[in-house]
Amino acid sequence: MKPFVVVPVVLAILVLGACSSSSTSAGTTSADGSTELTVFAASSLTSAFDQIGADFEAANPGTTVTFNYGSSTDLATQIDSEGTADVFASASGTAMDAASKTPGVADRTDFATNQLVIITPTDDPAGISSLADLATPGTQLVLGAEGVPVGDYARQLLDQNGLTKQVMPNVVSNEPDDASVVAKVKSGEADAGVVYTSDIASNSDVRGVTIPAKQNVLATYPIAVVTGSSNTDVATSFVEYVTGSHGEATLQQFGFGPPPSG
Amino acid sequence: MQRRLPLSFIVLGAIGAAFVALPVIGLALRAPWGRIGEILTGPGARTALRLSLEVSLLATLCSVVFGVPLAWILARGTFRGRAVLRALVILPLVLPPVVAGVGLLQALGRRGIVGSWLERIAGVQLTFTTAGAVVAATFVSIPLVVLSAEAGFRSLDPRFERAAAVLGAKPGYTLRRVILPMVAPQLVAGAVLAWARALGEFGATITFAGNLEGRTQTVPLAVFQTLQTDQEGAIALSLVLVVLSICVLVALRDRITGTG
Repeated sequence: MKPFVVVPVVLAILVLGACSSSSTSAGTTSADGSTELTVFAASSLTSAFDQIGADFEAANPGTTVTFNYGSSTDLATQIDSEGTADVFASASGTAMDAASKTPGVADRTDFATNQLVIITPTDDPAGISSLADLATPGTQLVLGAEGVPVGDYARQLLDQNGLTKQVMPNVVSNEPDDASVVAKVKSGEADAGVVYTSDIASNSDVRGVTIPAKQNVLATYPIAVVTGSSNTDVATSFVEYVTGSHGEATLQQFGFGPPPSG
Repeated sequence: MQRRLPLSFIVLGAIGAAFVALPVIGLALRAPWGRIGEILTGPGARTALRLSLEVSLLATLCSVVFGVPLAWILARGTFRGRAVLRALVILPLVLPPVVAGVGLLQALGRRGIVGSWLERIAGVQLTFTTAGAVVAATFVSIPLVVLSAEAGFRSLDPRFERAAAVLGAKPGYTLRRVILPMVAPQLVAGAVLAWARALGEFGATITFAGNLEGRTQTVPLAVFQTLQTDQEGAIALSLVLVVLSICVLVALRDRITGTG
């Protein structure tokens, strides 16, 4: 083997170093009378919507619901550029506002709320029992990155409690999404993280520290039918299913709060 | 005389070439050329660029320091399990980087098999530190040094070593004055490739070392985070990595084209 033959081979392998992923599913077909519904939903809804989707399919034979989960901000961009979404369920009003400008939405309804919670490893190495404890020097705290909804809400939380200046120096990592924050805490690498209340409903191996309602931030989740959907009827009935009593019960079971009243 | 290629080959080949070229063209076309200087000299970008240089150079150094002796052992050693050892050393090249990160956590994390011990005895924590970013980058780039150096060592005629020994040179002297100078081109090539890989490292770094400006947020991580809020800023930072990658290709052009 020539000594330099190895270089191009290795260069080819280098390409493997970069990785990225994106997943979208094609829209609707009704060739054999079946209907396919594509729902774009915030990643924090994953567990709850997987359940709701299965229930909806069972209640509506012939209908298949496909989910595309991601950061709400990214989803709003994809909805505009790809036009395959029938329903959009967002973790923030801002992302829904973007989608309602282009391509437009109908039947917009707030269907759930979420709050923030502090999580620690089960053995709680840093002794965290309140929001103020996050300011203890040496506490290794992970948050979602700026621009990621859970990260922005966490910053808003610290800000409105006047803790930004004391707590931010303890941040050791800004994670790309909610699930990564949970993972860093679950593995014991970080002493604490700030995530959604709904995250601890599905993760028994982290310890949750409740943040009192008057200190907490309320994340409101809107859902709507996307303009241009070729399945408006089914999309509307899916939205009604989510906002109805069955959907609400499932969402509560997964740690979400009821929609804001009034 | 050149033989004509079938049309289908030309078409498929052209699609292949366009597929590779288009993303780079896209970056160049969408780049905010008007404010690129302003973006790249901004505090966030400068911090990431400086950190990336530090981390990638330190990772290259570690890869050479540990990788070259390892390559020597693989090239000259005669022991059972050598093939297994080589496969193991090359593994980080084909391993998904995020898996590398998870593995590093199990080994060197605060609760890892070696990491917990490191923290207890020496008070050293690698996760969420610049040292951790260097560890992640070294893990993925050391195989490139080993592969290239081993190929170099194998291509050496053992008679040079024997001649040096006959002339009274001690093994260490022979290694320093005869062998290493002769394989210098392969060592440099391996180091440059390792540096390029370290510079682009993302998955293992964010998984093992986290993402914090000035500490572990290298340029690829900064690109990812900037993308959340400022697409143009992310493109500007990406272009820096494109330019550096092209520089690496130019530096290694003889070895890549194989034509000299």
